[in-house]
Parts: sequence; structure tokens; C-alpha cells
Amino acid sequence: MKEYQVVGKSVRRLDALEKATGMGTFTTDLVLPGMLYAKVLRSPHAHARIVRIDTSRAEQLPGVEAVACFKNTTRKRFNHSATMTFTVPPMEAVLDECIYDDVVRYVGDEVAAVAAVSERIAEEALALIDVEYELLPAVFDPVKAMEPNAPDIHTRKAGCFLCGKNIPGEKIHLALGNVEEGFKESDVIIEETFYLPVQKQAQLETQAALATVSHNGDITVWSTTQTPHPTRQILSHIFEISQSKIRVLNPPYIGGGFGVRIGLSAKAEPIAVDLAMKTKKPVKIVYDRKEDFTSTDTRHSGIVTVKLGAKKDGTFQALQLKGLLNTGAYCSFGAETIGVLGAMGLSVYRAPHMLYTGNSVYTNITPAGAFRGFGNPQAMFAIESVVDMMAEQLGMDAKELRLKNIIKPGDPWILPYSCQSTGLTECIEKGAKEIGWERRGKLNKPGDRLRRGIGMAVGTHVSDAWPFCGDFSNAYVTIQADGSVHVASGVPDMGTGTRTTLGQFAAEVIGVGMEHISVTIADTQSTPFDIGSHASRTCYVAGQAVMQAAAEARSYALTYAAKMLNEPLENLTIQNAAVYCRGERKLTLAEVARHAHLHNEQFIGVGKVIPQNAPPWLAHFAEVEVDTETGQVRLLKLVAAHDVGKAINPVIVEGQLQGGVVQGMGYALSEEVLFDRDGRSQHDAYHKYMLLTAEDMPEIKAIIVEAEDPTGPCGAKGVGETGQVATAPAIANAIYDAVGVRLKQLPMTEERVFQALQNQLN
Amino acid sequence: MLKDYLLPASVDEALQHLQAYSGKAAIIAGGTDIMVNMAEKKISPEALIDISRIGGFKQIEEDGEFIKVGAGVTHTQAARSPLLKEKAPVLAQACREVGSLQIRNMGTLVGNIVSAQPAADAAVALVALGAVAEIADLQGKREESVEELYAGIGACKVDCRSQLVTALRFKALGLNQGSAFKRLAKRKALALPMLNVAVVLSLKEGAFEWVRIVMAPVGPGPVRAATSESILIGAPVSHEVIEKAAAAAREQAAPRDSALRGSAAYRRDVLKVLVRRALEDAVSQAGGSL
Repeated sequence: MKEYQVVGKSVRRLDALEKATGMGTFTTDLVLPGMLYAKVLRSPHAHARIVRIDTSRAEQLPGVEAVACFKNTTRKRFNHSATMTFTVPPMEAVLDECIYDDVVRYVGDEVAAVAAVSERIAEEALALIDVEYELLPAVFDPVKAMEPNAPDIHTRKAGCFLCGKNIPGEKIHLALGNVEEGFKESDVIIEETFYLPVQKQAQLETQAALATVSHNGDITVWSTTQTPHPTRQILSHIFEISQSKIRVLNPPYIGGGFGVRIGLSAKAEPIAVDLAMKTKKPVKIVYDRKEDFTSTDTRHSGIVTVKLGAKKDGTFQALQLKGLLNTGAYCSFGAETIGVLGAMGLSVYRAPHMLYTGNSVYTNITPAGAFRGFGNPQAMFAIESVVDMMAEQLGMDAKELRLKNIIKPGDPWILPYSCQSTGLTECIEKGAKEIGWERRGKLNKPGDRLRRGIGMAVGTHVSDAWPFCGDFSNAYVTIQADGSVHVASGVPDMGTGTRTTLGQFAAEVIGVGMEHISVTIADTQSTPFDIGSHASRTCYVAGQAVMQAAAEARSYALTYAAKMLNEPLENLTIQNAAVYCRGERKLTLAEVARHAHLHNEQFIGVGKVIPQNAPPWLAHFAEVEVDTETGQVRLLKLVAAHDVGKAINPVIVEGQLQGGVVQGMGYALSEEVLFDRDGRSQHDAYHKYMLLTAEDMPEIKAIIVEAEDPTGPCGAKGVGETGQVATAPAIANAIYDAVGVRLKQLPMTEERVFQALQNQLN
Repeated sequence: MLKDYLLPASVDEALQHLQAYSGKAAIIAGGTDIMVNMAEKKISPEALIDISRIGGFKQIEEDGEFIKVGAGVTHTQAARSPLLKEKAPVLAQACREVGSLQIRNMGTLVGNIVSAQPAADAAVALVALGAVAEIADLQGKREESVEELYAGIGACKVDCRSQLVTALRFKALGLNQGSAFKRLAKRKALALPMLNVAVVLSLKEGAFEWVRIVMAPVGPGPVRAATSESILIGAPVSHEVIEKAAAAAREQAAPRDSALRGSAAYRRDVLKVLVRRALEDAVSQAGGSL
């Protein structure tokens, strides 16, 4: 393995001091002179037409400067997710929403917004807006929504329903071999259906934006977006203003994301821009927590069916997967998530015959979109539960069955790129050792009230979105006149340590320490185009762009130094911010840069990367204790062994894995948004929505495995989303080991476990 | 509109303030309920009367065979009190379960009772302890059993426009006595109880001398499992009689279906388990053998 100076070291994060002292700036913190505050009136109905809306009383309230609704605002259609900026023809993005429409499609949908001198006045004004609704029939169940007599949630005009009732985008069909043949060849076939809940990102900072419009009509928007450049494109589309006149940036921090703002931060940016244009003053909008729960993308709930066929010796012959995802009232990423569910679900195991069919469907609930894992956790809960069932039926150890069937480089698989690396076997072996796998099935005595169990599950993911949709990165790296290095990249740092990691690449390539590095991110004006932070791509793709740019800047510096020293270029290197000639320190990088500056030259490198893709791999292990009388599940230990290619900053990687596992544990046991019969969210606050707390945490052990991928920067692969791909099935399999009941619905609440135990008794 | 924040030094001064504002002032101790209610515009008092500086209000003290808990005592104080841990462990345990550390640091036990939520953990334990509240007004002082203070969901019989609860009083547990608190929640902190159960009992010669079993949320306030108690009183300690009493609690309770707390059927089934476990723990604490 290659030796690095800065890469692979847990250097201190560039944002550590500011965040630890509470001095970091987030959109929510921003204040501009003369700034107005916006508040949104939201629909109390799941589906209704606005027959009359009268904003005059609100407009007359002192302190109110503008009221916006569908009558006085552009109705240009868009999709608040970044899909509309990178969907490549012949596929088309579904543009099914406008800022305010005359039809509301879920409880919480935008009806109108007020800009006023204070948040309090804006809120008072909302109560003065008179709206008359004509109620329309609503549908919440994804299966019922596809029935012929279900209400139409959108019109055909919006690019929907081309494939069936209430289906946005396309039906996905992925096939390898012939599954019918495969099942004929199988000795054992298991088919089961699984039910997935609505999970919420619950990121700390709610959606927020602050917009100003200059006298020239130039628009500046500070916001919480994970993708400043695509967000600029969406705003340019909505307001029909050239991209060059719009600047979108993070200020520079974002309080988490987990996918909830890939593209717009829900509608924060267009609402703020529109009101700023109407009032000619800066306008800020910050969603309150309830709005964040009811009116921003969630994880897709849905139904996944798995049919797995195997030979007696455990060889998988056929794997069939069916997915149905409830995308709520607007498509968002609904057309993509359903594809990733199938693509990832079929990429873990080798089987000669595979088939996936799936589609998303509209209903009148909060829109679902991107959330860490993006369809993959839904697939793996189902698949990894069935693999465990298969092991039991075959009388095989669940770990051995997996080891026998997991994909190896060179195997045929469903994805349009090749698998060039896998450390999954090592992940499985190391994880099994850490959890004490050999104890499985031997932890209890007959009659124990508290029963322990161990379970495992595996999975993979992507390192970017290529070639499923547009995906590329650019970067500038400049060696300044004093020898310090500046990196400019369009990706944000939503807490994942991007700035630090990108800085490490530049430092490594050029040959300087981190103290010489500064990094500008997430600003469309000062950084070149980048798709942004999603699909676990930031380190993998933006990292490559930074490395390429840094290499170019370095080569300019070395070429210049060669001239200065009158030495052949091949004899020179840069280490510790100095130029060495055949091992002898000759000049500091600062001296070279200063000399160049005085002779009218700067060392600027540009990186332009169209990435390939690489599979990260993971194996999760859980030990649980089930209270057989109450159904309560206590987590005792979680092990997450991940092949990350190369850990550029191991502490950051561990943090990402642990955070993912925590969300996976919540997905498994407690997190769920339910809607009542009128479509109202029952879990619209932190005290109602059951994120696990510090007191609920078991020991979490993250194990890093490094099977470097030839396509990745220094061998790195995607990490961000991988942490929760297989947590829920590992826990489900542990519960089965403990008490012998198979839970097919998430979350596995105490009540559902109790019910399953009762059913087992009867 | 809030105009004043008052810091009386005595009970009398606080009562004078209440009278002066004739119903438009609210008492604040920890503020964990009142600040939320104000933020949500459910109430809008003209003045807040902060009782936390009244002498003795922060004390937990032994008074003969009684323990007295001042109106300013927080859940953290109660949860950490060596006196309560020894002589009313059910209360220390219940107080540890409330909200989060920050909420426990602010919220008071008396506030827990005056807010009159159906499943307030401390209140459930206090009813099991047979606690009384000392209530003062300008006419004088009186005592009323905590159990009798509930007038409906979120409604307390103490008239906060003119009356002040100054302390709680209950008998310390003695020899052959034990207590236990059991709680079912969706997570270990910051979670509404799906169920909570408190038991205080006394054993005599291998039998139940007396027992108080309190369960919630199965009614407007903490509810005594009366049938279960009568099954136990006088009965020799045994698994069978405990099981019978627990089953009777299940029959008596009538929880409602709730999206946040779980279905009524599930909670009734688990209530039986919690009552049984609380009884078993309390018996063993009392030195009884099963």
C-alpha cells in the first residue's frame, strides 16, 4: 500500500474550532440590513382546489410588505430535487410542481407566503389570508393510488401517468438471464413481502434561505442546499433569469442534510427569491421544525417483495425483486429512488438469473425524495431478511451462505460499470469476529424472559451517480504568491468533513502540510461547476477533481522551479512545502511562488472529472436483547465493517459510519411518520418522532476495511450513505435469532414484536 | 402581554402578588410547561411569579416519619437525593425517567402535579406514596391528597389564581416496606410514557399488609388499581397472587388507542407485565421472599 503524508491521517477538521465554539455561520444565523422575514401558509387539506383566496386583509396589516400566492407568482413548473438538472435524455425529469398552485396535494403544501418586518407579524398575517377550498378525494395508500378509480393527483401535462395511474416517471425493469428458468433450477424458493415506513432525515438545521436582489437584478441566495450549482440552475429555470445573474452559496455551513436538500431546500430558495423580487428587500425564510417534518422530503415508504431460489448447496440461482415506493404528492426523486432500490438490491449477490420491476406512485402525503441510502435500505431489509430465511431452510450458517454468494470482481452483474474491488469478505470476517458470531443461537436457556440474539446483513452502494444521471466535478487549485494553497470546489460541507478531506488531497498532491491549505466551497460565484454533495460522491468525485487540479498546479510550480534552479524537471520534487533536487532541499515553495509572482505568473490548476463508479461494501452485525413479555428490543452492540477503498481521514470516516448506523437503528426500531385518515402527520415534532437518543445507544464499533479501487482518488470509494444500508436487517436477523419471530415491517416497535410473539404462541 | 416578572421571598408575598393580579398572573417554578404554553399562545399571563427563591422551597427534608419535598424541588434533585433513594426509592426512580437531563434540571415535582398530565412520572410515584399537597392561600393552609387533585386531563383542583402548592408530604418507607417504578416508552429519554406503574407496599408476617398500585395513562390522572390492591391485602406473598393482581389491573385499565403511545390492546397486555414486575421488585425490596 502506498505511503502518504497527509492522506490517510486523521488531521484536525478545518471547521473544528468554529463549530466547537459555536462561531460557525449557518443560513439560520444570517441577518442583513432591512431584511424581511417570510412565513408560509400551508394547506390543512390533503387534496383540494383553491376556489377563492383573498390576501387583502393580510396585505393591510402594518409591517407586511408582500403576500405571494398562485395569483401573483410565476407558475413555471419545476422539480425541487436536482433531478431536473442532471436527468439525461431520452429520460425526462418530472416537472410537477410550482411555488404555489391552485390545487393543494398534501397537508402542508404551500398556499401562500408573507414577507414582513418580523417573523411575528408575518405569522399574524397568515391568519388574515382567507382561503376557500373545494375538497377533492384523496388517496394515501400506494396500492390504492394505482387503482383505476383512484383520484388523479396530477395531470398528464406534468409529464406523469405515462406508465400508469398516478405513476410519475418510468417503470423500472432490470433483468439478467431468465428468472423463470432460475426458479426451475432451484431446490428451495422463498418469497416474502416487506413493508417500509416513512423515515425523516431530522437534520439539525431546518430548511432555510436568504435572498437579495440587486438594482441590476442580480440575485444572491444563501441557503442550506447540498447542491449550490444545481440549485442555481433550478432558480434560473423558475424565474427565467440567466444563470450568470444568480449566485447561490452556503454561508458556509449547513446543519446536516442526509439528502433532504439535493436541489432546493424544499421551497425555501424560490419562496425567498420571489418575495425579495416583490419587495426589493432581502427576505429570509427559516422553516420551523413542524414545517420541516410536514413539508420537506422524507424517505420513501413502500412495499418490497423478494423471491430467492437456491440450490441445496446454497448456490443462488435466481433473485427476483419487486418494488413499490410511495413518493407522496410530488415526484421529487421518486423516479430515481425506485431505480436505485433495484440496482443496489441486485448487486450484492451473484445469481445467473435476476429480475427487478418497480415503480413509484403518487399519494396525498408529504413528498418523499432523497434520504441517505436512496432506496437501498428498503431493498436490503427485504433481501437480507430472506437470505437469513434461506440459510435456515438450507440448514446453513447465515454467514457462510453469504460468503458463498457475494459478488466478486469479474462476476456478471446488473450494473452498467464493472466491479473492480471488494473487501466484503474481509468486512464479514472482521465483523463476525468483533461480534462473536460463533455464539449465535447459543445465547439463551429455555424459559428466559430476556433473550439475546445476533444477526448480520451485508450490502453495497455507489460512489456517485454516474452513469445513472449526469455526474461531474471541477476544481481550481492555486498556489498563491506566498506558497499557500487555495482549493475552490463547488461541493458543500454539510457536516461530512468535505472541506478537510478535499484539503488533504491538495496537500498530499502538492507536498505541503494542512497549515498551508485553505478551501473555498459551495459558492457558484467563486467555484467552478460541481453537481454537489449527494450519492456518496463528494470525496470520490470532487476529490479526483481536486487531485487533478493540484497536480497541474504542482507541475507549473516544479517547471518554474526547474528554470530557477537550472535543473532538469525530473530531478525535482516538492515535500514539506519545499522544492528538493535529488533529495537536497533547494527552495521553499514560498520562494518559488514569490519569484513567479514578481515575474507575472501564478500556478493555477484546473481539475475536470467525469468519474467512473465503484462499489463500497459493508457488513453489519447486531446483538440484541428482546423482552419476550413486552416486545421491547434493547440494542447491545452494533458492528459496522465497511470497505471504503481508502479512508482519507479515518476519524471522519468513522464518524460517517457511526452516524449512518444510528439512523439505521432508528429505521429498524422506532422512527416512523404516520398519517391519520385525513392525511395529517402524527409525528411532526422531535418529541413525537422517535429518533434514538444518547441513552439508547449501544456500543457501536466501526471497522474500516481498505480494498482500494483503481477508479477512486487514492483508492477511495463512497462512504456517506453506506452506514445505514444494512443496519435494519442485521437487527431483524438478531431478533429472529433471539426469539424466532420474523418481522416483515419496519420499524420493529415493541408493539409489533409483541404481536409477532403472540402470533408465534397461537 | 407579559409585563412583569416577580420574585417573592415568601409564600405570603407570592399570594399577595396573585391577588393583586386577580387571575392574570401565573406561577412559574421550572417553567418547562408554562414557557411552552406561552410560546404556543395557550396562555398569556400579565406577570410571572417565580417561586424558586422562597425559603425552604428547594428542600427535601425528613420530618419525623414524613418526608417533605418543597415546591421548588426539581426532578434532578429528587432523582439524586440520598434521602429519597433510601426512603422513597419509587420517587427517585420515577424522577430519573422524566424527559431529558435539561428538563429534569428545571422541572419541579409540584409543577408536575399542578400541570396534571395523566401520566406524569413523579405524580404516579407520589400517588403510590400516598402523598399530600400542602396548599396555601390568603385564608390559610390546608392539605389534600395528590390522588384527589385531578379534575380532568390537564386540569388540577388547585386554583392557581389564588392558591399555591408549597410542599408535598408523604410517609417515608420503613422496615418491611418496598416500592418500585416501571415504565414503558419508545425510547429511554424524551419519550412520553406508553405506560407507567408505581407500587408501594408493606409486608407483615409473609403477607401483604397494605399495598398501593398506581397506573397511568389509563385515566385523567394516575389511577389506583383498586381490585388488584384488594386481592393482595391480607394475602400471603406468592407468585400466584401477584399474577392474579396483575391480571386484575389489566381488566380495570382502559387506555385509549394512540398513534404516539401505542394501541389500547397492547398497552393493556403489557400493563399486566409491568404491574407484576413492580410488585415482584417491591416485595423483594421489602424483604419478602417469592
